[in-house]
Amino acid sequence: MAKREPSINTENFTAVQLMELDSCSRCGECVEWCPTYDASGKDPGLAPRDKILRWREYMNKSYGLRAKLFGPKEIPEEDIEEFKDDVYGCTTCGMCATVCESAINTVELWESMRANLVKRGNGPYGKQGAFLKLIGEYKNPYMADNKDRTNWFPEDVQIEDKAEVLYYGGCTAELRQRKLALATARVLNKLGIKFTMLGEDEICCGSALIRTGQYFVEDTAKVNAQKNIDNIVAKGAKIVLYACAGCYRASLVDWPRLTGKELPFKVVHITEFLQDLIEKGEIKWEKSIDKKVTYHDPCHLGRHVGVFEPPRAVLEAIPGIEFIEMDRIKENQRCCGAGGGVKAGIPDLALGVASTRVEDALATNSDVLSSACPFCKRNLSDGRDAIGAQELEVEDVIVLTAEAMGIDLSDTPE
Amino acid sequence: MAMEYFAGISDALRLTFVQVMILATLSIGIFLIGMYINLKKWGMGSTGYGDAPSKSVLAFPKTLMYQMNEHAHVHNQSVLETFVLDILFQRRILRRSPLRWFMHFTIFFGWMALFALSLAMFLVEMIHMVAGEAAHSLPEFMNPAVFRELLAVPNDIFSYILLTGIIIAIYRRLFVTKVREATIAYDSILLIGLTVITITGFIADGIRTGRFWGFDMPYEWAPPAALFHVIISLLFCIAYIPFSKYIHMIAIPLALLANKGGE
Ligand code: SF4
Ligand code: SF4
Repeated sequence: MAKREPSINTENFTAVQLMELDSCSRCGECVEWCPTYDASGKDPGLAPRDKILRWREYMNKSYGLRAKLFGPKEIPEEDIEEFKDDVYGCTTCGMCATVCESAINTVELWESMRANLVKRGNGPYGKQGAFLKLIGEYKNPYMADNKDRTNWFPEDVQIEDKAEVLYYGGCTAELRQRKLALATARVLNKLGIKFTMLGEDEICCGSALIRTGQYFVEDTAKVNAQKNIDNIVAKGAKIVLYACAGCYRASLVDWPRLTGKELPFKVVHITEFLQDLIEKGEIKWEKSIDKKVTYHDPCHLGRHVGVFEPPRAVLEAIPGIEFIEMDRIKENQRCCGAGGGVKAGIPDLALGVASTRVEDALATNSDVLSSACPFCKRNLSDGRDAIGAQELEVEDVIVLTAEAMGIDLSDTPE
Repeated sequence: MAMEYFAGISDALRLTFVQVMILATLSIGIFLIGMYINLKKWGMGSTGYGDAPSKSVLAFPKTLMYQMNEHAHVHNQSVLETFVLDILFQRRILRRSPLRWFMHFTIFFGWMALFALSLAMFLVEMIHMVAGEAAHSLPEFMNPAVFRELLAVPNDIFSYILLTGIIIAIYRRLFVTKVREATIAYDSILLIGLTVITITGFIADGIRTGRFWGFDMPYEWAPPAALFHVIISLLFCIAYIPFSKYIHMIAIPLALLANKGGE
């Protein structure tokens, strides 16, 4: 009789990741902090600890001692489907990795599980399945004409054809949260910094594909990353600025990994860039923003790559702002709920997480809940609307910066 | 005549000595086979991001070395710092919960120290036996009887440290609702094993010394009690490691090293 094949395989896992499954001490710390587990009404399947346990059991059933002696044990297909649903109920916020007593790199583990399940034919989840086709066809996940990325900029905005500084706008800011992109462009203009953009040659950074485990399909994410890199180089850029946490993380961490090469330019978040200018005294503030402002660390900017101080430095430098911290900040920040494909795949869950984060902000009595990512802004605004907290303004740090520099953004097109 | 015995392998227990040696070899053998199976299992992964599964038993050590040498975006702490502060001192647990850290640290520290002391006692007896006639030329403290007395106080101290941790762990598992509800066999087997080993150690020592933990049991029971303690220690603490939650003793330090102490 032919020996039964294991129900799962180890595609997309590294050897260290498979070891990490055995290093979970089941302390439960991750369960305490997971935002989606919390917002789901404590659905046990979403608990990070439980996901590790289940995949470890799958591994042992397939490749452990018993499997070696008597052949692999079958894992019911429903179990794997259910597991898939649970592993996509995660924003890849990284909180579980921060608190993990065993130092497991959980986010990468979730992403590997997702990629494995995509390859197996189970993933991705719901609408996320359209990302590939959309990005392939439109170069962005919003089904927008790629020309519309920058052709809407008002005439006064000066974008060079070639420059040492390039602003990589990202799909969300250029196509959906245009105030943010306009603010960035006008701030740079006002500071006299010559910059260029990729315009219609810009392709989605790949974050949506990578986070949802679809990066390897037809090598789309890798091919796009390389095209972006080549296009950036062709523009003569040495410094690439980002005002989107997702694009920033993808460029800094994922692009070199996908392409197997160091980037030929410096990746800088706009708040890092501004902090530097503030320290050199090169920013002239023209307006006072007399508001209490709190700041939400985007997961992909903070926990994932450690940019915590620059956005705070910018906010604290703006005249009139009374800066107040929420309880959970920096490494311990609570996710906005949008990342990891959750906004597209499980919007209710995204909204639940966002509402909790908005409540964190309300507890500080702030007038403004700021962030440094258009995706966070969008979901936090939805969360604010969901709980009817209209008195709370949700705004990006770069927009506040623009206002304080006396820049008018009222002509931002829809 | 009162029987002399130390780690259970003295001359008066020739049979026991052979048994213990066989068992120790067997335990180490099972441990090695188990670790080989684990290495094979881990080696089903790839050696790099996005690469095809390697299926080589060397995949894990290779990937580990690669990751340890890689530049990380957030933390780039040294191997020494990871080893001292994260592996030995376990500061990641301390950051999350001082009580849980105290519990785990006492178990870890007590266990390690007792393991080292048992090993030392075993070695002294081995040397003593191998030396045979020449044993009298060994330094005085190398006499098993003397050496055992030397170890008596540290043995007691570390045993109680270990017991303290175990009591806290049992208390949490039984009386802290969240912990109790999340407990599965994987967790309880580890704790039950550790508890049985610790308690039998106390009892064997108690019978031999006639102290509280002997519960007035006859002195003749001391050698079999010690033997039982040695056997389950070998089976549980060595042979069973690769097949149970004990694997965390190996896997957590590896994960800490691979991820440079973690996020
Ligand atoms: S990455 Fe965030 S959302 Fe995902 S399991 Fe971890 S804590 Fe939960
Ligand atoms: S925090 Fe880490 S070790 Fe603890 S249960 Fe979660 S994954 Fe496991």
